[in-house]
Amino acid sequence: MPNLFILVLQVAVVLTACRLTGAFFKKIHQPRVVGEMFAGIMLGPSLLGWIAPHFSAYLFPASSLGFLNALSQIGVIVFMFLVGLKINPMELKKESHAAVLASHVSITAPFVLAAFLALYLYPRLSDDSVAFTNFALFMGAAMSITAFPVLARILAERRMLSSRLGTVAIACAAVDDVTGWCILAYIVVLIRAAHSETSIWMTLGGIVIFGLVMVFGVQRLLKGVFLNAYEKWGHLSENRMAFMLLLVLVSSLCTERLGIHLLFGAFLMGAIMPKEDRFIRYVLDRFETITITLLLPLFFAFTGLRTNIGLVKGHEMWMYCGLIILVATAGKLGGSTLAAWMSGMPLREAAGLGILMNTRGLMELVILNIGLDIKIISPALFSMMVIMALVTTFMTTPILNLICPKELLQGAPEKVIGKPVPTPSMAVHETETSVA
Amino acid sequence: MSHTNRNFVIAYILLVGLPLLGLAGVLKSGRSLNAPFSVDGAWKIDAGAINASAAPCGDFLSSVSNSPVSISQSGTSLVINLGGKTTTGTLNGKTITAQFAGANSPNTTDCSDRSLTLTATLDPLTDPRTLSGRLSVQGCASCLPVEFRAVKQPRPAGGTR
Repeated sequence: MPNLFILVLQVAVVLTACRLTGAFFKKIHQPRVVGEMFAGIMLGPSLLGWIAPHFSAYLFPASSLGFLNALSQIGVIVFMFLVGLKINPMELKKESHAAVLASHVSITAPFVLAAFLALYLYPRLSDDSVAFTNFALFMGAAMSITAFPVLARILAERRMLSSRLGTVAIACAAVDDVTGWCILAYIVVLIRAAHSETSIWMTLGGIVIFGLVMVFGVQRLLKGVFLNAYEKWGHLSENRMAFMLLLVLVSSLCTERLGIHLLFGAFLMGAIMPKEDRFIRYVLDRFETITITLLLPLFFAFTGLRTNIGLVKGHEMWMYCGLIILVATAGKLGGSTLAAWMSGMPLREAAGLGILMNTRGLMELVILNIGLDIKIISPALFSMMVIMALVTTFMTTPILNLICPKELLQGAPEKVIGKPVPTPSMAVHETETSVA
Repeated sequence: MSHTNRNFVIAYILLVGLPLLGLAGVLKSGRSLNAPFSVDGAWKIDAGAINASAAPCGDFLSSVSNSPVSISQSGTSLVINLGGKTTTGTLNGKTITAQFAGANSPNTTDCSDRSLTLTATLDPLTDPRTLSGRLSVQGCASCLPVEFRAVKQPRPAGGTR
């Protein structure tokens, strides 16, 4: 049984820390989510556990972390559903040449560079229970992810969603996230299959069948059950909202049972939901506030409790950390910039795209937690990657201000070669809270 | 093929195709790399193997030795928890060394608050892996080291968490 007093105290402390730090970061023109991520780290062994070990042990006893984790995972499940909900697969089909090239390069460049870095880090930060291939693929997937929601928030704040840069960035981020999650699913299946009695072919077959049923069966039903009802009455009944949540949970359970991860099911359910602008906005309004203000901060806190910057000890470890940040930035920022510039985008704007793609935010933390759970990365490497996620997300706004001032980008002429870039329509839906 | 499309194809091959070939090469060459032996996880000390009868500190060392051991590994750096005491250690080849800090001004009559040294050798060929080693009390001439054998515990079944 959980100690309810401790659990409620934990939630209260986490909520306060996240709101205060988030507000402070907003004051210094950073997305609130960066502050909340930072608050999570401060509550863990890196700061609170270091300066006040007894209070930390009282507030976050090891026996209570399971309950905190369970609550935070519910939040991440709903969050991944919302991320999937915001991605419109139809928009991805209409990409321009610039977007196609930039999105694919923004995956391959960091992925390949991360694999090269894995050659150096594997003998130093891993162990022989992890195969090199899995380690390298995970590092690649973790470095090639882009925080779609943070990026969308930054674009919305700067009124850049309809600009050429905004539309290409959104398309690239969506492609990156879908690809990154597919690669991650593959790695998780490989690793879990090694410890499971079920053959990998059975697992893969099950996943393919599940995917086909979702895309060609369930997707059609969703339109009838949710979109038609919404269009008829202008709202969804509580029963229908509960049914939607139930479908998310069932889909999550299916993917967990199939050997991938709970979060893939939630993401897929969001991705196959009807993509009508007002309907999406309506669903987001109902789920976002409680998820982002209450449940996600618990995830930040749980991540912070697992992040021990003290493990990054000595100049050698800090050099590894620096290398990780350098490679992640060079691959994502450099690769996207080069691809966009070669596609005909002016250099300054191409650099802006590169900076935006380098935003990793919460999505990176989700992936890293999965990596630590399946023990593909060590605790020290986890801490280094969390620092990388914080640094790359933090650097986005100031560098974007420096390279691409707002006035330069608003109303930039269309110069991209190939097909015209689509307007984002419903690809992104923003509210004040959707910063994670 | 138009000029624009040709440029796109060339750029695509250059920026996507070639790196993917590089990735295949990296994955192939990386297979020959050796990472440190895995000692991460929970270990159970084989109590029957403790030989502490002759030592004045035998009771203390026995109680420590009977405590659960957990090791968190990041390459050759280890964080070892033994009986509620946590310290950092290193893995050098098959040898683990770690020192648990004692009290600043140790008790002169009792050695239980002195620093403790752990050295152990991994046998990577057994399944599950085993550790053979010794625990000794620093600065306590009358305390004989205690030898122990530990067996790695399987990971909890049922998913990733």
